[in-house]
Amino acid sequence: MAYEALDFYDIDSLLTEEERMVRDMVRDWVEDRVLPNIEDACRDGVFPDEWRVEIGEMGILGAPLEGYGCPGLSYIAYGLICQELERGDSGVRSFASVQGSLAMYPIWDFGSEEQKEKYLPGMAKGELVGCFGLTEPDYGSNPGDMITRAEDKGDHFLLNGAKMWITNGTIADLAVVWAKLEGEIRGFIVEKGDQGFSAPEMKGKHSLKASVTSELVFQDCKIPKDRILPDVKGLRGPFSCLNNARYGISWGAVGAAQSCFNSAREYALSRIQFGHPIASFQLVQNKLSWMLREITKGQLLAYHIGKKKGDGSWIPEQISLAKMNNVDMALEIARMSRDIHGANGILDEYPVMRHMANLESVKTYEGTHDIHNLIIGRHITGIQSFTREP
Amino acid sequence: MGVAVLLKQVPDTTAKISISGDRVDEASITKWSISPYDEYALENAIKLKESGFGDVVAITCGPSRSAKCLTEAAAVGADRLIHIISESPLDSIQVQSLLSAAVKESGCEVVMCGKQAADTNSGSTGPGLATTLGFSCVGGVTEVSIEGGNASATRLGPSGLEQVEVAVPCVFTFDKGDSELRRPNVRGIMMAKKKPVDVFSAEDLGVDVGDSMVEIKSHSSPPEKKPGQKFVGSDSIPEVVSKLREEANVI
Ligand SMILES: Cc1cc2nc3c(=O)[nH]c(=O)nc-3n(C[C@H](O)[C@H](O)[C@H](O)COP(=O)(O)OP(=O)(O)OC[C@H]3O[C@@H](n4cnc5c(N)ncnc54)[C@H](O)[C@@H]3O)c2cc1C
Repeated sequence: MAYEALDFYDIDSLLTEEERMVRDMVRDWVEDRVLPNIEDACRDGVFPDEWRVEIGEMGILGAPLEGYGCPGLSYIAYGLICQELERGDSGVRSFASVQGSLAMYPIWDFGSEEQKEKYLPGMAKGELVGCFGLTEPDYGSNPGDMITRAEDKGDHFLLNGAKMWITNGTIADLAVVWAKLEGEIRGFIVEKGDQGFSAPEMKGKHSLKASVTSELVFQDCKIPKDRILPDVKGLRGPFSCLNNARYGISWGAVGAAQSCFNSAREYALSRIQFGHPIASFQLVQNKLSWMLREITKGQLLAYHIGKKKGDGSWIPEQISLAKMNNVDMALEIARMSRDIHGANGILDEYPVMRHMANLESVKTYEGTHDIHNLIIGRHITGIQSFTREP
Repeated sequence: MGVAVLLKQVPDTTAKISISGDRVDEASITKWSISPYDEYALENAIKLKESGFGDVVAITCGPSRSAKCLTEAAAVGADRLIHIISESPLDSIQVQSLLSAAVKESGCEVVMCGKQAADTNSGSTGPGLATTLGFSCVGGVTEVSIEGGNASATRLGPSGLEQVEVAVPCVFTFDKGDSELRRPNVRGIMMAKKKPVDVFSAEDLGVDVGDSMVEIKSHSSPPEKKPGQKFVGSDSIPEVVSKLREEANVI
């Protein structure tokens, strides 16, 4: 049966023709290229290189960025791209989020003219892959206390430390790495092959299996002086990247939820128990109705914050709400959909268990669910509760 | 020189079609697309352009919603877009006279379209157009290449692939081949938005379509398929065999 994305409140009618065409292009690609191959990719634990090439050919990387070969699409179009990619698999969306929002964006916003010209056109085409190194083994939710250090050695910087859980790390041609220089967080561009830099892959994931996750290790890693991002200091650098990626995730989660809803609805209509389709039982209808309700609310959140991203009237707390709410509802819907599928729900014939496992990562990365609660809590009360230190 | 590609907007093959008051309820169709056979024609036209053979002129005849076909064609490489606006339904001859006039206006001597439209399946547009324009017509092709004034077309014959040589001007109607219409990319989509569409009415083209010679009396849904039968266990083999032999006539 052809895929019909749930759109109860007709968000479609709010889109421009261009946004719709971009959405349909990505949807078509996912249907054609991702869905038939995703289970193999997960089983092998790889992000197929042809996906990188084809995503690059579609020209969707760094969607809302303008100039330097970047697409210059609306934030709504960027959201729709994330939605469609994640309807396929969160790992595919992760690839695009990291490349566009976490690696291209800081170069685009905080980089020098030379850095922009050197990296962005190739990254927009998918010919150069980027990653984003913020998290460390001992500093996740609290990146401000990171250990990784840069030292100014006159004609070069010397980096020491380690990053962990870095999406695209092993396949990346360049890493945007956040490290402390004289006690202050700065962004550095480290290239594959730089002396003292390695990016071993982390294995054994039960989630985001089709996404590459790596460590980044810097042992007296020597990089030229022109690899520092000149225009940003402090946590504002990484956090502004995260705001863009989190925004994309709020749409991506809708895509995963739509996929799970769709599968649950189809399954419930065709599965007969006690002589009737299970969709005819009130308890099952209640579940489907709840899914529709949550997805519809999530779509409206994502669309509205997308408009605000576009006109610049947003605050980070609003993005926190959208990321937190939408991932939360998507994960709950994935679990409920798995339940509706009964035993079949655990099979790779259906997408639901894969989405469910993926969304566990999505709940944690880009600010855990509770970190977003704390961000919103601080907004409500004016009292920060991240740390007991004043 | 260039290639004119005729594109018809039809309900998407995945759209649900419902009947209301003896007519297909167009308002309930949520997705309209370029007719699939036309897409093969468009892909071939773009390939010809890439091999150095003039521009691709995409032409559609239909209500304002069908402008979407043209934007989609522009996104994958069509150079000029022509929309013959007709809000009310036309019969095949009327459509052909309008399309012929648009092809003449474009100056193209090679015309490509689907062998039939996915909604009406009548298959008359290509041959009808060729007759009106006085062009040759090769039907059911899967690939066309052009060298000088001569075209070479491949089509599925009764016992294998047939290679047909034909002089331009010519109309080619396309069957399903190996070359699916390429996916657009963001750059194509953004350029498509800016591409002007030449909008013509019948009067603009100097065509008097006259009265329709065909009247559709009613539409109805095809009969529902009979449900399948299920047989379980080896005991049912004789019954299955006898049914296959006597009811299904397959052995
Ligand atoms: C698949 C995957 C890909 C990733 N990709 C990247 C990447 O590309 N780049 C990158 O830099 N990072 C990446 N990450 C890391 C991710 O951002 C971190 O995992 C995340 O920030 C959480 O950090 P942590 O895992 O150390 O958990 P912790 O910070 O140790 O949190 C553990 C638990 O404690 C809770 N907690 C922590 N502090 C508080 C508090 N003050 N109050 C209440 N509760 C609290 C959290 O909510 C959570 O429930 C990735 C992670 C995964 C799983």
